[in-house]
Amino acid sequence: MKKLRIASLLTLALLSTLAHADRLDDIKKAGVLRVAAFDSNPPFGFVDAQSKQITGLDVDYAKELAAKLKVKLELVPTNPANRIPLLTANKVDIVLANFTITEERAKQVNFSIPYFASGQQFIAKKGTLTSPDQIGKLRIGVDKGTTNEIVLREKFPTATLVAYDDTPFAFTALRNGNVQAVTQDGPKLIALLANAPDKDKYEIPPFSVSDDLIGAGIAKGETRLTEFVNQTLRELESSGKAQKIYDAWFGPATKTPLKRIFKIGDK
Amino acid sequence: MDFTVIANNFSYFMVGAWPNGPLGGAALTVILSVISAIAAAVIGFILGIALAMTRGAWHTGLLLFLGFFRAIPVIMLIFWMYFLLPILLDINVPGTGTVVVALSLIGGSYLAHSVHAGIRSLSVGQWQAGAALGLTRRQVLWSIILPQALPIMVPSFINQWVSLIKDTSLAYVIGVGELSFVATQVSNREMVFPTEIFLFVALLYFAFCSLLEFGANRLALRYR
Repeated sequence: MKKLRIASLLTLALLSTLAHADRLDDIKKAGVLRVAAFDSNPPFGFVDAQSKQITGLDVDYAKELAAKLKVKLELVPTNPANRIPLLTANKVDIVLANFTITEERAKQVNFSIPYFASGQQFIAKKGTLTSPDQIGKLRIGVDKGTTNEIVLREKFPTATLVAYDDTPFAFTALRNGNVQAVTQDGPKLIALLANAPDKDKYEIPPFSVSDDLIGAGIAKGETRLTEFVNQTLRELESSGKAQKIYDAWFGPATKTPLKRIFKIGDK
Repeated sequence: MDFTVIANNFSYFMVGAWPNGPLGGAALTVILSVISAIAAAVIGFILGIALAMTRGAWHTGLLLFLGFFRAIPVIMLIFWMYFLLPILLDINVPGTGTVVVALSLIGGSYLAHSVHAGIRSLSVGQWQAGAALGLTRRQVLWSIILPQALPIMVPSFINQWVSLIKDTSLAYVIGVGELSFVATQVSNREMVFPTEIFLFVALLYFAFCSLLEFGANRLALRYR
């Protein structure tokens, strides 16, 4: 009985320290905001050839968050599959890596309000894919640990899926004929194609198989940090900065002009 | 083939974003390799000698410990230490530290058996002769056995160090920016030059490993 009481006291003490630990305070105390971003997925996150730094749309949002907190920004490169482990293992404070909001993921991490929207599309050699009916018969490359993989398994169970570590690997497989199509979020594919030196050979058929909302990932239970991110995102929209960030990567003057279909705060 | 992609990104391959960011690329590969190689050698020596000098429960315990680290794939140990230690024990090891510790433990475990085998390769008669002269076991080991056993172990050490240099590339799994990781970043951005980029990377690994082999053999010859 006594043992049990000590055990429950210990558990309570542990729980209370957990409850007290607040990431927002930790970030301010450390003076550093650690953000996980993609390093190979233009224009969301990629290593710029000149500056050798990770840059992109996600990184611009990370910079705004760090600037508002008045702390230094530390970017941690990630692949799609490491995004949740990085948060649960407290290796980063926020994930800004084209992170699609799903119910399944929301059980493990907190999500901010969405700051980007996209639909899942396909890229294939010209003429191979014209309608969704064909998907079930194809070999399709996906990124490990993405929602694209899950959607495809549910909606097209007869398709043969080949999982790759990251989108460029999948695209290399497409180029070499290992797969017949690659699926990813539309904007990411458009940027992929825009940067490909052999872009005339490929096309992105004009249909999508899902609608995805992209948000920032935050460790489970960090309510204050989540609220801070939400509030900052809303401010960025109302001040016009969100539009500026969008235009920098998808505006008419860019390699990947894309109409902005989603504003922060939209339902 | 067009090798301008190598020339254009040469400094990124060599040192990563340094000095405007963390040191990476080939320089980080060398640093990770050197530290891990030294640590693995120290661990291998201590545990190998312990393996030769212990009996009974200690010996069995040691064998189990070494067996554990020889059985885990390097990539899994790196992944576990990086993501699981903070959750289970609240220890936060940075990526580079994780890689060094994992490679040292695994390399050290392999080397312990090499050291043990080197010591065992000398006849029992030498131990008995030493004892007959009134030397303690420690004295026999230090002044009779090890001077003869060390040159025998050299090829095993070089083997292990060479494999350790190549294993640093597994650091990619936790996003440590060593040579193969930054090469992948460049390859992903440039898209159509994987052959050129990874030929160059292979050449660098070949150079590192050959240099190590050459240096270690010359050093070993001097002490023969």
